[in-house]
Amino acid sequence: MRIRSQLLIVGLSTLALPWAGCQYARELETTLRGSQEQALRASAVTVADALSAEPQRVFRDTSDGAKFDPARGDIYVFPLSRQPLLDGYRDDWSVPQEPLELPQDGGLKTLLQAGATERYLFLYAEVEDAHFEPEPGDVHLSTARFDRDELLVQRPDGSLGSYFFATDAPGLIEGQSFAVADDGSLQAALEPRLQAYWLQTKGGYHLEIRIPLSMVGSRLWLRPLDGLKNPPKWELPAIEHLQGGRLFFASEGLDELLATFVRDGTRATVVDSNGLKFGSAGAFESAAETQQARALSHTWFRSLLDVDDAALPMRAASPDRIEGPEVDAALGGEVGATWLRAGRDRSPLLSVAAPIVVDGVTRGALILEQSGDQLLSLRDHALNRLFYLTGLATAIAVAFVFGFASWIGVRIGRLQAAADAAIGPDGRIGLKMPEADRTDELGSLARSFEGLLARLNEHTQYLRTLGGKLAHELRTPLTIVRSSLDNLESEGLREDQRVFVQRARDGSQRLASILSALGAAARVEESIKQSERVNLDLRELLISAVGGYRSAFPQVRFELQTPQDACFLRGAPDLIVQMLDKLVDNAVDFCPAHGAILIALVRESGDYRLSVGNDGPPIPDALLPRLFESLFEQRPSPGDKPHFGLGLYIVRLIAEFHGGRALAGNRADGDGALFTLVLPSI
Amino acid sequence: MKKQIAIVEDEPALRDNYAAALARHGYLIKTYANRNSAMQAFRLRLPDLAIIDISLEDEAEGGFELCRDLRALSAELPIVFLTARDSELDAVSGLRLGADDFLTKDVSLPHLAARVAALFRRIDALRATGTASEILRRGALTIDVERMQTTWQAAAVVLSLTEFWIVHALARNPGHVKNRQQLMDAASVVLDDETITSHIKRVRRKFQAVDAGFDAIQTVYGMGYRWVE
Repeated sequence: MRIRSQLLIVGLSTLALPWAGCQYARELETTLRGSQEQALRASAVTVADALSAEPQRVFRDTSDGAKFDPARGDIYVFPLSRQPLLDGYRDDWSVPQEPLELPQDGGLKTLLQAGATERYLFLYAEVEDAHFEPEPGDVHLSTARFDRDELLVQRPDGSLGSYFFATDAPGLIEGQSFAVADDGSLQAALEPRLQAYWLQTKGGYHLEIRIPLSMVGSRLWLRPLDGLKNPPKWELPAIEHLQGGRLFFASEGLDELLATFVRDGTRATVVDSNGLKFGSAGAFESAAETQQARALSHTWFRSLLDVDDAALPMRAASPDRIEGPEVDAALGGEVGATWLRAGRDRSPLLSVAAPIVVDGVTRGALILEQSGDQLLSLRDHALNRLFYLTGLATAIAVAFVFGFASWIGVRIGRLQAAADAAIGPDGRIGLKMPEADRTDELGSLARSFEGLLARLNEHTQYLRTLGGKLAHELRTPLTIVRSSLDNLESEGLREDQRVFVQRARDGSQRLASILSALGAAARVEESIKQSERVNLDLRELLISAVGGYRSAFPQVRFELQTPQDACFLRGAPDLIVQMLDKLVDNAVDFCPAHGAILIALVRESGDYRLSVGNDGPPIPDALLPRLFESLFEQRPSPGDKPHFGLGLYIVRLIAEFHGGRALAGNRADGDGALFTLVLPSI
Repeated sequence: MKKQIAIVEDEPALRDNYAAALARHGYLIKTYANRNSAMQAFRLRLPDLAIIDISLEDEAEGGFELCRDLRALSAELPIVFLTARDSELDAVSGLRLGADDFLTKDVSLPHLAARVAALFRRIDALRATGTASEILRRGALTIDVERMQTTWQAAAVVLSLTEFWIVHALARNPGHVKNRQQLMDAASVVLDDETITSHIKRVRRKFQAVDAGFDAIQTVYGMGYRWVE
């Protein structure tokens, strides 16, 4: 993997930053929830205490802490937000609950629902009655058989009032009260304060009744009687014998009272000891906040880090009561708090309940509810900024790391390219490395490279001059040997001794030729320094030289191709001939007997290309780039002709002296070697 | 009276070998290992011929200095440089200082002796004025073989012994190509091809100093050289 990619991955580790931010935001949210809970608890206790001090403003019936039991005829009175029309339908009550069955003692099956506005109590009854028996014109209450609904009300003063509703035709009717005449017979008297609407339906009738609250105490009983049967004997019962019929509803003005306590974003609800709602004020969230929360709830990161709201319990949507662990705790005398979800969007909700204690008895509870969405929006706002900031930071960091990595990569690449190219195709060693003037590790690496190259160069130089030095140093002892042999011979030798002296002389002669070959490059370098350049005709020089080669090497065939006209060149003819000699020597060595050596000169865009090609084995590709190096020799030395790999090095020296270059290769047909000299023309 | 030859050479074995060989030819040999001892002796008495190594002990070019000092003492004294360093620079410097010949240590002892004899013969011929001499004439070139003197267009061209024999070998058969080996044989020296080349170059330069239009010595590339009239 490239360094750039590696560092890019390293750079991506800054993504841990937003992650850490999320964790922090979660903790923040937990803390905020805790403090919200604390604050709401404190408010709940305060409000509950305030309500406890004025129980008469909370509970309609201050003494009775009775248990709500619909099976015995207890009735919960829904608060109605506006006065309904008396029309026999409860559509306009806006109570999201069906009427409940009212337990009957000998009456018709009845479903009942009660509601109250500020001044009136409303009753809505659905009665099953297969046959409508209208009220006759002249009523004899004890014996007449007609459909009627008897209503028994405990008045505010505690006395009982007995009324009934009947009609000869469905529609708006008034209630009638029972009265006992002087003769002891039962009479009916119109009671205009009781209004009702009788609506005949399939299988029965609806009765929607309106009673002024001033007529109603805390209990009420309704008994629809079937007109097909004989009416039971009427009598006003003693209140002690009556069961159920309790009305559960709040004191007048409780909502207004609560409204003075609640702040925006909080809903306060009072329940009685049964958990029935008595009154409420406020709303958990303002419309604007809801809007904002909605908008934020769709931000992308919300899905990433939703605090586990989903696990929260759902608040049961019940129109007449509030249930939950916190309510149970409060009714048990403790302050309780719960996080839950509510509404259609299942948004989180904090609910705190505090007991309302009257004379040491827990009569009910105050429940304060607040939306958790406020917190969420707070958190989301913080997270939003956090995300953008850390995202920006990450992007900058990654960009920096990427840029830095690219820069490092480029530098290393430069260093690598320089290292690759340090030893040129001609064997020369470049001593300069890029980056060497930097102070960092790459700089010191480059300097190490330079040191290494300098050492290599010294070594190469040493090798290059070694031949010359050796030749020079060995010459004196060789001369001593040869002059001693000369002297020995002059002293006069026996014939048998002469043989050994001759062998010693042959050996020293060979040694001398080896030394001469070894020193050849040094001598050429020396003569290059002395050379003067003249204008010369390369074509003429070639024609003359090839003539010489033909007589010198009769075993091979020389072919010469030149342009027709003179080819002028500025150079040292002796050196050029010497260079040609080396190439021809080389070619003759590799050329089989009766093979051909082709020497060709062509003009090519300001240069002369002088090539010497011979029949014979091609040069292995691996050797090509090293052929012109000093002391590079792959041939075994045949016979007494030593090879030190200096011939082609000398060719290169002379070609470079003329501002040209020497190239080694193979013939296009692959059947021989081809050396080419590129020399600039005048 | 025996001719006296001074050998200045710091390598004792070589020095003694040269001395033994030349003594065998009837010369009186004095040997010196360094410049100072040689110069002290030369101030007392000049030898008849001096053979000097270029590098002497710790003086890399002590031989050149010695040559200059010696030439200051005597203009005619034949001086031969003998060295392992056959590079061109050494040769040019040595001959400019007025050396009569320049030999590498590759030269065999019989060749060295012949060289010494030739130099003495030249001195003698120069002193014996008026004697009949073998004169070789080739156009503007006149070679006095006996005195080893060369003139071009009547002007003297001072050549070293090696150069003289090279010119002589070329001019004797004008138009004939002499290859390098033939020239070496003629000059009785063992030289590298490059050294022959530089000798030829120097010979041309010496003639050109007299006549700028000189081009009688032609290079036949790949073969050798020839004299053209």
